[in-house]
Amino acid sequence: MSNAVIEIRNLSKIYRDFWGRKKVQAVKSLSLDVMKGEVFGLLGPNGSGKTTTMKMLLGLLFPTSGEMTILGKPASDVSKNERIGYLPEESYLYRFLNADETLDFYGRLFNMTAADRARRSDELIEMVGLGKARRRQLKEYSKGMTRRIGLAQALINDPDLVLLDEPTSGLDPIGTREMKDLIHQLKAQGKTVVMCSHQLADVQDVCDRIAVLFQGELKVLGRVDELLELRNEMQIRTTNLSEEAMADVRKVLEKHNVKDVEFSRPKADLEQLFLRTVRESGERPGRRFSTEEVAASGKGGNV
Amino acid sequence: MEFDIRPYNFASATLAWLILAGVLAALGLGLSLVLSVARNGKGGIAIFSSGLVGYLNDILSISPRRILALTQLTLKEAVRRKALLVFVLFAVLLMFAGWFIADANERPELQVSVHVTFLLTAISWLILPAVMFLSCWALPEDIRIRSLHTVVTKPARRLEIVIGRMAGLGVVTLFVLIVMGAIGLFWLTRRIPDSAKSALNCRVPVFGELYFISSEGQPQEVGLNVGDVWAYRSHILGNSRARAVWVFRGLDESCLTRNAKGEEELQLECRFEAFRTVKGSERSILQGISAQYTLASNPREEAFGMLAQSETVRPFADALRDGQYRNASDRLKQLTERMRTAPGELRPADYFGLHFGLLVSGSVLQYKKDPRLDDLAKLLMDASTAGQAVSEAQRTVENGGNAEIPYAAFADSLDLIAKALVEKSSDLMEALPRLEVPLASFHVAEYHDGDEDSTNLTRVPRKLKFVADYETLGRFLSVTVDDWNGSGRLLEGNAFKASLTDDLVKEAKISQLNAERLVEVLNEQLSGGSLVIDGGKLKVADNRSWFVFFDDLIRREALVSADTQGWMIERDLLNDVAKNGELRVEVACINDQMYLGMARPDLFIRKADQPFWAGYWKALINIALMLLLIIVLGVTVSCIVKGPVALFFTLTFFIVGQFFHDFMLRKLDGIEKGMGTVESAVLIAQHRNPEVGMDVSETAQNVVRAADKSLEGVLWVFSNIVPDFTIFNRAAAFVENRFDVPLGDVVLPAVVVFIGFLIPCILIAGALLKFRELESK
Repeated sequence: MSNAVIEIRNLSKIYRDFWGRKKVQAVKSLSLDVMKGEVFGLLGPNGSGKTTTMKMLLGLLFPTSGEMTILGKPASDVSKNERIGYLPEESYLYRFLNADETLDFYGRLFNMTAADRARRSDELIEMVGLGKARRRQLKEYSKGMTRRIGLAQALINDPDLVLLDEPTSGLDPIGTREMKDLIHQLKAQGKTVVMCSHQLADVQDVCDRIAVLFQGELKVLGRVDELLELRNEMQIRTTNLSEEAMADVRKVLEKHNVKDVEFSRPKADLEQLFLRTVRESGERPGRRFSTEEVAASGKGGNV
Repeated sequence: MEFDIRPYNFASATLAWLILAGVLAALGLGLSLVLSVARNGKGGIAIFSSGLVGYLNDILSISPRRILALTQLTLKEAVRRKALLVFVLFAVLLMFAGWFIADANERPELQVSVHVTFLLTAISWLILPAVMFLSCWALPEDIRIRSLHTVVTKPARRLEIVIGRMAGLGVVTLFVLIVMGAIGLFWLTRRIPDSAKSALNCRVPVFGELYFISSEGQPQEVGLNVGDVWAYRSHILGNSRARAVWVFRGLDESCLTRNAKGEEELQLECRFEAFRTVKGSERSILQGISAQYTLASNPREEAFGMLAQSETVRPFADALRDGQYRNASDRLKQLTERMRTAPGELRPADYFGLHFGLLVSGSVLQYKKDPRLDDLAKLLMDASTAGQAVSEAQRTVENGGNAEIPYAAFADSLDLIAKALVEKSSDLMEALPRLEVPLASFHVAEYHDGDEDSTNLTRVPRKLKFVADYETLGRFLSVTVDDWNGSGRLLEGNAFKASLTDDLVKEAKISQLNAERLVEVLNEQLSGGSLVIDGGKLKVADNRSWFVFFDDLIRREALVSADTQGWMIERDLLNDVAKNGELRVEVACINDQMYLGMARPDLFIRKADQPFWAGYWKALINIALMLLLIIVLGVTVSCIVKGPVALFFTLTFFIVGQFFHDFMLRKLDGIEKGMGTVESAVLIAQHRNPEVGMDVSETAQNVVRAADKSLEGVLWVFSNIVPDFTIFNRAAAFVENRFDVPLGDVVLPAVVVFIGFLIPCILIAGALLKFRELESK
């Protein structure tokens, strides 16, 4: 039995105008599988067809040709949705409802009992950190809060497959980190996650495999670690070296005919810096950090 | 607007619906298959099949819980988006309406009518735009802001979304309507002046069938036209034999009301038109024209009325209708004599009229299943057949053919009838009794002053006291004596009871003088041998029936008493006059040279009034159904087009259904005159009028007319697809005119029409949304 949660074969989508004339071919003969328990990323520039593919998977669009099965069922079968959670690019929710009502409403669409809905709502609201705002109408929410409640509604049914369209869009770095942690959690729970995003760093952080689309065509498909590995380069990482030590190392390498040797200090990425700063600011309010302090703290260390 | 709506034929309506739904479903599925094949080639069939199976599966797996969730979502949306602000407008309208519509000098029923019309119009026209906007905009807006996407990516079927939307909007509408209705009713009871409060009720009418009897005594469908272009009412001439005859069926105790004394009575309400050919005095003008009701039970009219169609045969028919069977026999013999000696003197129309009249008379008598009438019925049918042979032969000759016209055979068969009429005259008198109860006359006013009600209400007591004519008296006495004789109240030993006179006065309700005379005559007949006592019972000596016995006495004027009022007797309205629940009310115009105009709804039996609120809420039910239908249509259309377009479509449906549905039907039935669309366009282009026609070749004319014919097919489809919104307005018109709303004939058809559209609309809307790409660019 196949381990694939999503199977796409020769999928094409042509957008037509009112008169049936071809406007654009958004997806061209796409074939790929998403395996159970993996985090799969769909990458590509704007107009590459990744959102179109996701919407075809969800039944929001109909393929012009090709076949798709999700969790063993055709994409047109509504019953497949019982095991799917979907977070749209922007959280298209009913803005006149509050968080509790929103989750209750979507829970009822899954025919969940009132007790299950209440329990699950509490869990999810706690998880996305909207406990204090659960009684406010969604129209009063910030963009980040809207994303959080959007995520909560996507998980209301404890889905086996989670489709995330630009999951970190509109989130601050903390929210982004939390989202990525959550995706890791979902993976740890054995769930399959498919996400499409422009945030390459995010994709790199969380995805096991990716597919890169360009103008509707599949250009790259594979494991992230394999795809990003630079096979003709090597990296040595150690604590600080003295000038002499660096010269000795250089000599040893030259002896082995290694050229283009470069010594540099590794840099923390901005996300790490931001997260650290926010965390420390909470602990020591009113203090501003100098560049030296930041640099001296070292990667992952404290200021 | 008529208030005697004909019973709604559910069976034929359902059949028509099934046929139409079947045809449209087949067309829709066929078209979908063709489109699918056109787009996808051979694979289109598989796509179509899987789509159809998927949709059927959706229908079967509908979840009430999900629908309820979607319904409640719509409710919350309406409340939180301030749709209920419509109440504020309503309140403002009610606050100031009184300034403009109140007129204390107006007649009470008009004051009520104006207020009720305003209220019901305000309610429906305030909610209507809100409902139209909400239903047409809700789904497209959901699609536009993509909140629907989050819903359809859950296990919610699109069919459920449609139903949930419709139900949610429906509940909001009903809530608004009920609140407005309750506030409106409260406002109405406060606004109507005390002087008009008595008119704030719902009359419950029982309508009958109307036909006319002309001045010559001929039954006719319509009466005279006095020159009105509007032929709604027909007129009868005053001081003549002309009558308007209403036949009410299904009369029972429920039709009676009780007066202040607790006595049962029948209310007859009428509104006739008075038409005057001479000016008369000022007093008579103000007083109006006199009319009189006669309650009649006359089976002879029913049996022999149709024979009076032909002028030549009418004397024979009149004699039959009057119960003068011997006279009728003589008249018939004169007719057969003419038929034998100079058959050409009678027109073919006379022969045909005679044949047709005999057929009707024979059928009516056969239908009565009375052994006393069977022989005559058979003779009438035989003669009708002979008459038919004459008519057919006449037609053959007229068309240049060769045929012998069997006048003699026809005359022979008529002679047999003439003979039977003499032999069976007593049986006929007994089997076809006539009872006529003239009521007091009343005035039909031409002008109405101030607060005077323009309707005439006549209260007919159930226990009718009236001066009996000979025939009625004979029947009354024969029935009474026969009954009393049977129950042993007549005799005491070999003589009449000593208390018989008193008993007759007390129980048979006849006057002392008449009772004395009756007992006297009975004693005379007993001693004279015409009556005998046999086995303790009184019997007519020569085995004649009691009716024939008394009829003979009356004809010999043996029963004339000293009572100057004549024989005043008492009969029961329901049991004696309206036998089998059928009551004939004849209306005569009394004044010479004056006319009374009448239409079927102008006279009705008024049952006990219903409280106003009963009819008012029934009218609101119909308004609610109309609004719900608009929701259904709006949501259906909005599944495939954007809000403004959906609004345009729904508004068009409403306008056509409200104002042009009847026109479409009349056009299709050929009642509405005029050219077809293409022919009219050609005529306009050629600057020609319909009289001269198109200036094109015959072939072109045929092409144009064929095109118009096919456009008529399109019109037929439209006339069936566009709901007849006037069905929903009828109830309001009833209440505005202070009538109760008949549930079966007014509310139920509206319910049926609503359901008839609801089911296909839900299925179509579900399919449109299911097979629509929500993200299509």
